[in-house]
Amino acid sequence: MDGDSSTTDASQLGITGEYMAGSHFVLAQAPEGDEGLNDHEDGNGSKDNLREQDIYLPIANVARIMKNAIPQTGKIAKDAKECVQECVSEFISFITSEPLKLYLQKFREAMKGEKGISGVTVTEGMGEELTEETFTNPLPAGIITADGQQQNVMVYTTSYQQIPGVQQLQFS
Amino acid sequence: MSGKNMEEKVEQATNSKNISLPVSRVRLIMKSSPDVSCINQDALFLTTKATELFVQHLALSSYKNGSGKETNTLSYSDLANVAEETETFQFLTDILPKKILARDYLKSLEEMEKDDENL
Repeated sequence: MDGDSSTTDASQLGITGEYMAGSHFVLAQAPEGDEGLNDHEDGNGSKDNLREQDIYLPIANVARIMKNAIPQTGKIAKDAKECVQECVSEFISFITSEPLKLYLQKFREAMKGEKGISGVTVTEGMGEELTEETFTNPLPAGIITADGQQQNVMVYTTSYQQIPGVQQLQFS
Repeated sequence: MSGKNMEEKVEQATNSKNISLPVSRVRLIMKSSPDVSCINQDALFLTTKATELFVQHLALSSYKNGSGKETNTLSYSDLANVAEETETFQFLTDILPKKILARDYLKSLEEMEKDDENL
């Protein structure tokens, strides 16, 4: 873990993940404002008091992937690595929440009508924001299913078309 | 020869089965989103893999877009520029603001205060 305290300010904020509607994200401060994320005593036990290593992916892994992506002679600034670390967490939260919103919308419509819930592609959810081709490589489809009790569901497929006959797993 | 080695590395990273990011940490971050309860194993793997590809794409786009000529270094401003210019990365604009010098900011603050006084 970096002991360097000269990172960007986001590392001092508690990430509580408050998202506004319309895919505009705001990082909200945690209720205990002065605790800081580098607090080693985790005695509080509350979910909000997450450490820096909990909300970001390890910088070594991120840096390694970056190094492999750019031409061999290139170098990467340290603050760029830290910054990409934050972007990555943002990205994960983004693709987690976007299909969810779309799903909930469809779920509510389905609950009103008699139609079943069709598979929602993650690419639909991302829509205009992310149009990168690499996301359409063949990767396994993942399904999180709901039982009748309104648990939250995300359906990921890997192509722009829906995959018919995809099996749904039930969590009891 | 070194170019071929890099190609192999990139190919290895983009091959479906290999991932170099910790899956448990990815799950933690996913769970920080509101309303998320259970996460299917495949969806988790997919997210981790997509994140890897995202890092590669972001790094390469920033590097190409940036100074490139002499510096040969990927800097923060390259990232900020690519976030603003590329549609794909627009969701990052809030956490990748462009940096300005403190004295420029203080100057513009003073000017704003002067305007307020004049009103």
